Amino acid sequence: MNEDMILTVEDLHKTFTLQDGRTLSVLNGITTGIRRGEKIAVIGPSGSGKSTFLRCLNRMEEPTSGTITFKGEDITSPKCDINLVRRKMGMVFQHFYLFPHLTVRKNLTLAPVDQKIMTQEEADVKAQELLARVGLADKIDEWPDRLSGGQKQRVAIARAMAMSPDVLLFDEPTSALDPEMIGEVLDVMKELADSGMTMYLVTHEMGFAHKIADRVLFIDKGIISEEGTPDEVFDRPKQPRTIEFLSKVLRR
Amino acid sequence: MSGRMTMRSKSYPGAGRGDILLGFVGAFLVYALWESGFFTADAWADFNRRFYQNFVKDDRYMMLVDGLKSTLFMTAGATVIGVIVGLILSVIRVAHKGGLHIPVLNKLAETYITVLRGTPAMVQLLIWNFTIFASARDLNTQYIAILAFGLNSGAYVAEIFRGGIESIDPGQMEAARSLGLTYWSSMKFVILPQALRNVVPMLFNEFIALLKETSIAGYIGIDDLTRAGQNIQALTLEHSQPLVMVAIIYLIMVMLLSNLVKRLEQWLSRGRRG
Repeated sequence: MNEDMILTVEDLHKTFTLQDGRTLSVLNGITTGIRRGEKIAVIGPSGSGKSTFLRCLNRMEEPTSGTITFKGEDITSPKCDINLVRRKMGMVFQHFYLFPHLTVRKNLTLAPVDQKIMTQEEADVKAQELLARVGLADKIDEWPDRLSGGQKQRVAIARAMAMSPDVLLFDEPTSALDPEMIGEVLDVMKELADSGMTMYLVTHEMGFAHKIADRVLFIDKGIISEEGTPDEVFDRPKQPRTIEFLSKVLRR
Repeated sequence: MSGRMTMRSKSYPGAGRGDILLGFVGAFLVYALWESGFFTADAWADFNRRFYQNFVKDDRYMMLVDGLKSTLFMTAGATVIGVIVGLILSVIRVAHKGGLHIPVLNKLAETYITVLRGTPAMVQLLIWNFTIFASARDLNTQYIAILAFGLNSGAYVAEIFRGGIESIDPGQMEAARSLGLTYWSSMKFVILPQALRNVVPMLFNEFIALLKETSIAGYIGIDDLTRAGQNIQALTLEHSQPLVMVAIIYLIMVMLLSNLVKRLEQWLSRGRRG
């Protein structure tokens, strides 16, 4: 296995059992990986399984079969303590999910303090730094519902960064935002990318994906049907499904 | 009050301070009118004489005051037990549903809720007193009542909490877990504080329900408010004034508390939101 690979995925399958007992096969054998510092954009039609793929990486969804190896450890093994793994894999959600009953400061410091990684004082300092980095230093004692959507998502990114993760997983981070707020969130993500962060990004922002990604995965019907550099996938797609998808989303 | 199979915590008609005063004066006037034969001089004099007998002579009103203290003591104690038991039961059930594999605990919690909600509180009280603690005669009966009412209330409070927990967006749990928090830490720091805030008004309603429910405590020999009224009856051989007074005292307390719940709801809905 390649030494720089921070995360590798082998033959990942995910099947959901519906309420009426039928099964829905969402991921049908995905094999891929990410190098330290690499930025991978995951695109595809809705229902293609791209979000499920991302959510399997930190076992928000339990994979049905397949192996995921993170920094040399098989995290799908029953022996793995997934809570320890998740500390090092930050996740940013479409709907932010800030904790509304906690101030911005507490949103950022809850996890590191509870897990005894930092004292409250150390975590406060780190929170201050991270908020400055996402341009919200003055909001540290604010309540989440006093923030705009874009500000909430920037806080959510800072919260994910508070655990000093090795990888950040972005699950459509701008899809729930008003158009005028998308830019500020993308700017923060761009800055993170430039700083060398390893990132998986599920997105519909094709322009942004093109700009920051080292590699693009096109997922369709639960498999990676095309992959390559942004230029290859966006400008010279080979698969008919990719061409059709891109023609639909890029026309707008 | 016998077995209530459905969730009992419903909202009571809210009342402002004016309504409460009006309710008290009105209820008492209607009663006095009826009792005194619409203020015919003789009947009114008789009414006053009996009022003196029932409440003033030998400081008999103190029996009601002591009874009220007992009622409030039992209600407060039972509420505390009810909230603790209800919280534990609801967390077990939610955790089981949320993927933590605890089938035995879950079954126990379910059975507890079914049995305690499916049998009359009155019968439970009698069983606690005359069967389970039959040989513990030196134990203060009020503590037995608190236990009986509290454990009964816990079954109802469990359903209140469960509703509260399930009303929180599942994304909150995911976000907490994604940061490496354990399931229990996520519950404690993220889910429960939000759920608690949502159910505070319903917990107050549970308190109101308990306040009235403790009126059966007399059956195991506790001189609560209701029993105090009956005790006065026994002394004065007076059939109605003591119990009507007792009813009015309950009514005032319930109206005051309902008013508090209404204010609380308004305050909470003005507060922070997700």
